[in-house]
Amino acid sequence: MNPIMETQAITMRFGGLVAVNEFSMKIGANDLIGLIGPNGAGKTTIFNMITGHYLPSEGKILFNGESISGKEPAVITQGGIARTFQNIRLFKDLSVLDNIRIAGHSRLSYGLASSIFRTKAFHEEENKLRAEAFELLKIMKLEHRVDSLAKNLPYGEQRRLEIARALATHPKLLLLDEPAAGMNPNETKELTGLIRWVRDHFKIAVLLIEHDMKLVMEVCESIYVVDHGELIAHGGPKDIQNNPKVIEAYLGTTEV
Amino acid sequence: MDYFLYLTQMCGIFIILAVGLNLINGMCGQFSLGHAGFWAIGAYTSAAFTVFVAPPLPGFIVLFIGCIIGFITAGIAGLIIGVPCLRLKGDYLAIATLGFGEIIRIVIMNMNSVGGPRGFTGIPQLSNLFWVYLWVVITIVVIANIVRGTHGRAIISIREDEIAAESMGINTFRYKTLAFCVGAGFAGVAGALFSHTTQFISPTNFTFMWSVIILLMIILGGMGSITGAVVGAIILTILPELLRFFGDTVSQWRMVIYSVILILLMMIRPTGLFGKHEFNPLKFLKLGGKS
Amino acid sequence: MDSHVSYFFWDLLNYLINGLTQGSIYALVALGYTMVFGIIKLINFAHGEFFMIGAFIGYYCILSGMPFALAMPVAMIGSGIVAVIIERIVYRPIRHAGRIPALITALGISLFFQYAGQMIIGADPKAFPSSIENKTYQLGEVYFSTSQILIVTSSLILMLFLYWLVNFTKMGKAMRATSYNMKAAELMGIDTNKIISFTFFVGAAFAGAAGVLVGLHYGTVDPMMGMIPGLKAFVAAVLGGIGIIPGAVLGGLVLGVAENLVVGFWMATYRDAIAFTILIIILLFKPSGLLGVNRREKV
Repeated sequence: MNPIMETQAITMRFGGLVAVNEFSMKIGANDLIGLIGPNGAGKTTIFNMITGHYLPSEGKILFNGESISGKEPAVITQGGIARTFQNIRLFKDLSVLDNIRIAGHSRLSYGLASSIFRTKAFHEEENKLRAEAFELLKIMKLEHRVDSLAKNLPYGEQRRLEIARALATHPKLLLLDEPAAGMNPNETKELTGLIRWVRDHFKIAVLLIEHDMKLVMEVCESIYVVDHGELIAHGGPKDIQNNPKVIEAYLGTTEV
Repeated sequence: MDYFLYLTQMCGIFIILAVGLNLINGMCGQFSLGHAGFWAIGAYTSAAFTVFVAPPLPGFIVLFIGCIIGFITAGIAGLIIGVPCLRLKGDYLAIATLGFGEIIRIVIMNMNSVGGPRGFTGIPQLSNLFWVYLWVVITIVVIANIVRGTHGRAIISIREDEIAAESMGINTFRYKTLAFCVGAGFAGVAGALFSHTTQFISPTNFTFMWSVIILLMIILGGMGSITGAVVGAIILTILPELLRFFGDTVSQWRMVIYSVILILLMMIRPTGLFGKHEFNPLKFLKLGGKS
Repeated sequence: MDSHVSYFFWDLLNYLINGLTQGSIYALVALGYTMVFGIIKLINFAHGEFFMIGAFIGYYCILSGMPFALAMPVAMIGSGIVAVIIERIVYRPIRHAGRIPALITALGISLFFQYAGQMIIGADPKAFPSSIENKTYQLGEVYFSTSQILIVTSSLILMLFLYWLVNFTKMGKAMRATSYNMKAAELMGIDTNKIISFTFFVGAAFAGAAGVLVGLHYGTVDPMMGMIPGLKAFVAAVLGGIGIIPGAVLGGLVLGVAENLVVGFWMATYRDAIAFTILIIILLFKPSGLLGVNRREKV
């Protein structure tokens, strides 16, 4: 099986600090993979390299067999990698519908002149986009919020909207950065189901950063563990749970 | 009466300037302080066209071509300035655009063919109330339609969160440049209408102070609202005239009053009169219109 | 041919001396810009007005018979106090509103002083009373005046004073701490509001000193005189690396010299465009300034 995304020994240095060191991973087209590690281990930095926000100091990132390092974040998203953010970055002052429609922007083809003169192409494409957005909001259980401003949504719905917005770019790989952060146990439980359902329904790969171990162990088929920028373990949930290196990373060294 | 007419025309010209700047500052969130520079470019290029090269055509056609020339030259200037500057953020962009605005003015000051520091005289009065307000309508319709299409949403998403916008597949640099060029282009149109209204322009008409006044218009009205920009432009064009009723001294204190308004707005109501909201007359009259 | 070369040489020296004089002024004003920016990340657009206010306080002091040596400190304290008042009633309430609202407010303050000054004092330039004997000295073909010597020496003294203040006093330590991390400084028991006020005071006092010196050197003062030097001092601060104190001095001197060389040898009428051109070049190629370190935005 060919992986949809592969990082080949990517390294990220900030000045003298090595945030991520020779990190390699492979994700298959329909995988649900977890990326865990203590705070400051370099997980979000890995995300930022994959999405093009950071240019890796060394190493290569392949998506569909093609190198994407050095490409603009927008181009990478258009190519099929979408993400959410650790600290929710919705378009706060815009409606839920607009948040979704913006994500569909690169799929529209009408030009500026069409927009100014309100041509037939404009109305056709806008109506289609609108219908798609409504459909997506429906399956994400946000249709009752269509006209609300994103900032007025309760926290759990904001997280869901961010996932919906990422899905609206029609990704093949979805990166979720701590989607359960700040959620109560009920919301987390719901989210667990949602993540799996999204993967199955849209037939995409999901890479997940999460601190909630219960969620990770329950939903991920394979887990990568990083600490101090290094990959320290990789395997199924059971292997990871019993891996002494992982336990050490989380609980600290037990040297005498 | 003549003066009233002139004032109404100036009001229209400032509406065009404010609505254009609002696309850059209010919609796209790119803080520009060089709008007077683009205004100057439109005013000078269109005036140079009518005075030096215009073929013997009816006045309104010459004016129309002048406006188009103003749009294109100012738009190109916007492109030349925008491409390097729009990589900068926030207050740095503000200062860089201010710098460019002043450079434009200093360059004009050094161009003897258009009068240099003495000003450009002998521009025919081709503009009138009708043409000014036709362009007001064009400006508002074009910008409102852009804003309510996918390109406009892309522009607004940059204001909301640039990093999220690029993560949604939006080429942020391209849309910043688009907003900057369209905004600058309409400032150029305003310049063309201005030079063909006043018949005399000089570099002192386009100082940094005017960039600030146009900025004040959109802040007063509410950054991000076209309605706000229109209302802000009207208020600040009429206000100095109203102040005349309180005698010459009060009227001379105009700029002081403006600066106090600016400071108080920032301290008390930074969102301006309208915030980001629009007043849509069609919706108001229940003639339909969906978001 | 030989005389051409020597003319060029003398011209160059004269331009350099004028450049250094002007550069010292820019540096004095830029120091305030950079200190305020360093501490609260505000581009204090109104900083040039403290320069103007200082010049006018000096003007009225000397008119009323005060000797120059006393008028200058009075002007410094005067503009310092105005700055502290402005900080207290305007900047402090909007400090947390974000950088753009703060910038707009500063713009408002700047316009307020310029136009209120025009209304109260009058827009026409006033002749600055010559309170010291301004002689011109000649060394070979190089000319310089008493006021130029005064500008360079007093700038130097003030800069050394600032160096001492920032690096060797308790206040300076608190300033550096506040600039490095305001929250942490607060937690360490530093009264950051007091430090910010003090920074405004020192910055404006320096600008005020520059104002008096400029009044003396050029012989006139007017309410709009702060605008262009203020903008140029900002350019100087950015050129050196905004927030970095030695950067402001370097930036000021470089800008002063560059301006005088370009004006002298090449295009006199483009004097005011030079600073902006430098600004744009530096913003595009090294936005952190000559002495700065590039940083990247956190995602």
